Amino acid sequence: MERGYWIKSKPVYNALVWHEKATAHLVLAQNQGGLAVLKLFQQMQPQQPVTVIYAQHDTDYAKTLKKVVPDGLDVVSSEQELLVSLKNIMPSMRMGLRVYVAGSEGFIWSVAEVLKTFGVEEADIMKELTDTLARTIYCVHCKAITHNITTNIGKCSGCARMLFVRDHFSRHLGAYMGLMIDAESPGELPEIEEIYP
Amino acid sequence: MTMINVKVAAIEQVTPLVKHFTFVKEDGSSLPAFSGGSHVVVSIDIGGRVHRNPYSLMGSPMENEAYHISVRRQENSRGGSVFMHENVTVGMPLKITYPMNLFSLAKKGRKHILIAGGIGITPFMSQIADLKRMGANYELHYAFRSPEHGAFAAQLKESCGDHLHCYIDSNATRLDLQALLSDQPLGTHVYVCGPSAMVVATLETARNLGWPENHIHSEQFLSPPIGEPFKIQLARSNVEIQVSAEMSMLEAIEAAGVEADFLCRGGVCGRCELDVLETDGALLHNDHFLTDSEKASCKKIMPCVSRAKGERLVLDL
Ligand code: FES
Repeated sequence: MERGYWIKSKPVYNALVWHEKATAHLVLAQNQGGLAVLKLFQQMQPQQPVTVIYAQHDTDYAKTLKKVVPDGLDVVSSEQELLVSLKNIMPSMRMGLRVYVAGSEGFIWSVAEVLKTFGVEEADIMKELTDTLARTIYCVHCKAITHNITTNIGKCSGCARMLFVRDHFSRHLGAYMGLMIDAESPGELPEIEEIYP
Repeated sequence: MTMINVKVAAIEQVTPLVKHFTFVKEDGSSLPAFSGGSHVVVSIDIGGRVHRNPYSLMGSPMENEAYHISVRRQENSRGGSVFMHENVTVGMPLKITYPMNLFSLAKKGRKHILIAGGIGITPFMSQIADLKRMGANYELHYAFRSPEHGAFAAQLKESCGDHLHCYIDSNATRLDLQALLSDQPLGTHVYVCGPSAMVVATLETARNLGWPENHIHSEQFLSPPIGEPFKIQLARSNVEIQVSAEMSMLEAIEAAGVEADFLCRGGVCGRCELDVLETDGALLHNDHFLTDSEKASCKKIMPCVSRAKGERLVLDL
């Protein structure tokens, strides 16, 4: 990455902090995101109602969360299940709800996509990146989406082209741009390295 | 700024204090299209002093034969509204700016709550035309002093039906902002235009309930206050200008033939901001744009509404 070069479309993630003004809070987390939720509750127990949905597969923050979250904690076992629960509770939510998401980038943006269908704008969601820097990429050639790319160059799940993973991010797709790397001289690839562990 | 030559096609007394003016192009051609919530700045010449005041366009943005504005008569002001009420007659030529919009509807909004107080109804007249055309979900909450002061209330009743809720002070019906804003679906946007107390109350209520900032919209043009005359120096143009009691600094700069930027002329948009190079007195900030610390720093001023005291004020223009 070039020094001092900033791509505006690349999302910036922060540490979760409660919004002081709210009528309700909704916290969605996955795996290591559980720690982010625990940190959130370290800040304080908000006065307003809080709902936490936590999807865990290989970490175990659920036990601690059960102690810390007063009520409204829902522990599920996969991202898919979390999205289903989310879709079930959203229709009863009203303006004044504040939303917090912690997890991998793929998780954050699939949650954002569901929330958008309920009128919550991406810009209004507080997001913390945990777990992995793995990127979802979209192939500019065949439009296919490939998940969990941890290297500078990844193979497109659609057309099998070798794609260079760029920093340009589409909020609409929740994915980074992937551009064919050996278009000029087919087969000639630079070294493939893990840069998004 | 390029101006459009219009003439007054009709004037209608809508309430005891409000007049509705219809403008058409002087050469009979169509007027530029605009979007709901837009305003134009109307230039009037009061005894050799050019006043330029912003007014919301009220008609349907789809209609380009005529523009409609409404003016509330304000006593104890610089005379712009009184001049519009008393001296502007049908057939009179006027100059207006192209429409500009600082109060547009949020495209992504799922529902739109419009809150108007008194003459603050005007920007909503064009927004409602847009909302109806889009088939959008909206509510219009309109508060006014007494039945005879409810400008366009009957017309709105007809076009908005159940979407319109009126609150009339003299009937002791009041808008309960807390109740209104605490039970709205996600994706709702709120828009307010009216007296300062109403705007502040709406903004505060929405913020306290946790509405995100980008879901809260307001428009409140301040009119330039009357004040003591003072002098300014424009460093780059190398001129000294006298700002009279009833003129704004921006109008005085324009009268001296110096080009200055503006959009709202009401202290909200930030477009007219000027850097203060030197000052020996106090800056009288009247705008809603600069932050308190910027105001205190005396480095910037909004010439559309703010004034100064003292002998020397040098601006970077
Ligand atoms: S012109 Fe908008 S703040 Fe002065």
